[in-house]
Amino acid sequence: MATDRAGSPPVLACADLRKSFGDRLAVDGVGFTIGPSETYGLLGPNGAGKTTTISMICGLLVRDGGTVHVDGAPLDVNAVAAKGAVGFVPQDLAIYPELTARENLRFFGQLYGLGGAELRARMDEVLEIIGLSDRADERTDGFSGGMKRRLNIGIGLLNRPKLLVLDEPTVGVDPQSRNAILASVEQLGEQGMAILYTTHYMEEAERLCDRVGIIDNGQIKAEGTRRELVSRIGQRDRVDLAASGPLPTAAEALRAVPGVEEATAHEGGIGLLVGEARTILPRLLEVATAAGATVNGVEIVEPDLEAVFLHLTGRALRD
Amino acid sequence: MRAALVIALKDLRQRLRDRTAIIVAVVAPFGLAAIFSTLIGGATQPIELAYAYADLDRSELSTALRDGPLAGIEEAGIASVAETDSAASAREAVDIGEVDAALIVPEGFGAAVTAGQGAELEIIGSTDAGFSTDILRSIAESFTTDVRGVQLAVALATHAGGETSPEALAQLAREAAAADAPITLADLEAETRQMSTTTYFAASMAIFFLFFTAQFGVLSLLTERRQGTLPRLVAAPIRPWAIVAGKAIGSFALGIVAMAVLVLASSFLLGARWGDPIGVAALVLAAVTAAMGITALITTLARTEEQAGGWNSIVAVTLAILGGAFFDLSQGPEILSQVSLITPHAWFLTGLDSLGPASASVVDVLVPVTALVGIGLVTGAIGLVRAGGLVVRR
Repeated sequence: MATDRAGSPPVLACADLRKSFGDRLAVDGVGFTIGPSETYGLLGPNGAGKTTTISMICGLLVRDGGTVHVDGAPLDVNAVAAKGAVGFVPQDLAIYPELTARENLRFFGQLYGLGGAELRARMDEVLEIIGLSDRADERTDGFSGGMKRRLNIGIGLLNRPKLLVLDEPTVGVDPQSRNAILASVEQLGEQGMAILYTTHYMEEAERLCDRVGIIDNGQIKAEGTRRELVSRIGQRDRVDLAASGPLPTAAEALRAVPGVEEATAHEGGIGLLVGEARTILPRLLEVATAAGATVNGVEIVEPDLEAVFLHLTGRALRD
Repeated sequence: MRAALVIALKDLRQRLRDRTAIIVAVVAPFGLAAIFSTLIGGATQPIELAYAYADLDRSELSTALRDGPLAGIEEAGIASVAETDSAASAREAVDIGEVDAALIVPEGFGAAVTAGQGAELEIIGSTDAGFSTDILRSIAESFTTDVRGVQLAVALATHAGGETSPEALAQLAREAAAADAPITLADLEAETRQMSTTTYFAASMAIFFLFFTAQFGVLSLLTERRQGTLPRLVAAPIRPWAIVAGKAIGSFALGIVAMAVLVLASSFLLGARWGDPIGVAALVLAAVTAAMGITALITTLARTEEQAGGWNSIVAVTLAILGGAFFDLSQGPEILSQVSLITPHAWFLTGLDSLGPASASVVDVLVPVTALVGIGLVTGAIGLVRAGGLVVRR
């Protein structure tokens, strides 16, 4: 069994996943691992192969090739035990509108082998987590979109999964509910759950994920932490100092600071390209002040995953 | 198996909260059966006639008429015969509509017949009940024909020079009166073993709508796929076949419940007579199996719920027409009866027909039950295998 970088056995290990629909190759050799407490993001545009990949990981789709192991056990469509370690939150609202929130939870809990007092206790816990305790006995067809989304996630938590798979859980969600969902995912990650999170929103991947796999045309184009991905394409942070005084002199002095690649004076300030902005920032302020400039404000613009994706694929995430 | 039951119970809970399903399963078939049996049943209700009989003669012949053909139609449940003590009271009973017609045996009728003289029976009929009067007239005519035969035999014996005592003549007259009843309608119902109109419409509407009820199981796989819950079911730690089994169990249970409610409701509220309960139960179970099988097959051929619903409706109506659920196939060409055997409806109705006689039991429906189960197993096996393909994407 492979281990992750921390030496622990991975909760999810998938390798060389392949799937074709007719002549179209939807997933082509995808593989990655997720360790305990790690949140892994699959970032890519619509049609990149994210949902097909997690469908194979969750045993919803018969794969053409490759392997999936969850908590050490092989997983396919008939792998009952391995599936029990996974919590799946599909992109669609997978809840029954004719049933109440509690009935939805009870039904899926029973499918996961829960029952009796254990199930009742777990339902109460999940209802508390998703903030629906006071609406538990109402039919879900009367719920708002955000409430339905929260219940959709709650069902995935019922079985205390070792791996939680969320397939674009914020699609079509209002900003307030989206924030609530992201906060919940962050909290779950902090509690030690391994999470596989697919999204085409760069901000979500940056906010939630310890590591990101950039997927396009059914292939993982690059994988790593945000910093690793950014550094891989050689991009630098941009720092804008809002300043007054002898700006050309100050810019000249700043160019001599190690890590500064470029410093240009312009009306109202100085623009810089640096390696690690947050690390070097105190030194920049010190040098600029020493050169006679008065710094009134600082703006740091770090290169994002959007830029990485553009660099790797030649197109934007939302193309 | 536990997972299949959990899914079946969830499906039933959903259906019970869906008023449309209850309407299709119970309300519509019961309502239509009630309407059809009321509208059409009036023309085919059993004959119930009322006659008055005034015996002013009090002879052996008049007594034989009362105890013979008139008693016969009473025993057959075709008519009631009320005796009156005078011609006037018989006429009054007709006039006030208490009876449809009256038969009066005048005084001296028996003596005249015995003497070989002319004798006549009087019939008084209501102008509003010509049919009833005709029946009474034909009974009387048949009786007088038999009496004339006896008279002819007596005359021949007398002309032949034989000695004929009054006792012998009376015996001949009694034999004439004891001849077969002229009316044979009494046996007609038992011979054809037809269901009552109410039972027929209750049964035909029940199996017609059963095809709409039974389809929901596999159809709900398409619904779950559309609304996104199917992937979540597949992701659960259960075998994929458990999902299909759960759908089938739920569908089967709903079909049984719907049919049971219809059988009971039509029996108690409409007066339908379904027959031996065990035989009916066997037919219902078999019919539900057949309906489930066919609808599962049709549903899995479709891509969407709408398409499946449309195709199932077409098949349900076509099979109902071919199977005699809307009209009596015996009134059509013989080929129709032959073709109907491909439909569950025909086997179901034939089976119920077999349960008509009071002595009928489950043994009498073994052939229809076997045919229904056969249809269900063949189509259902194909349908459920195809349903498995809906669950696991390849």
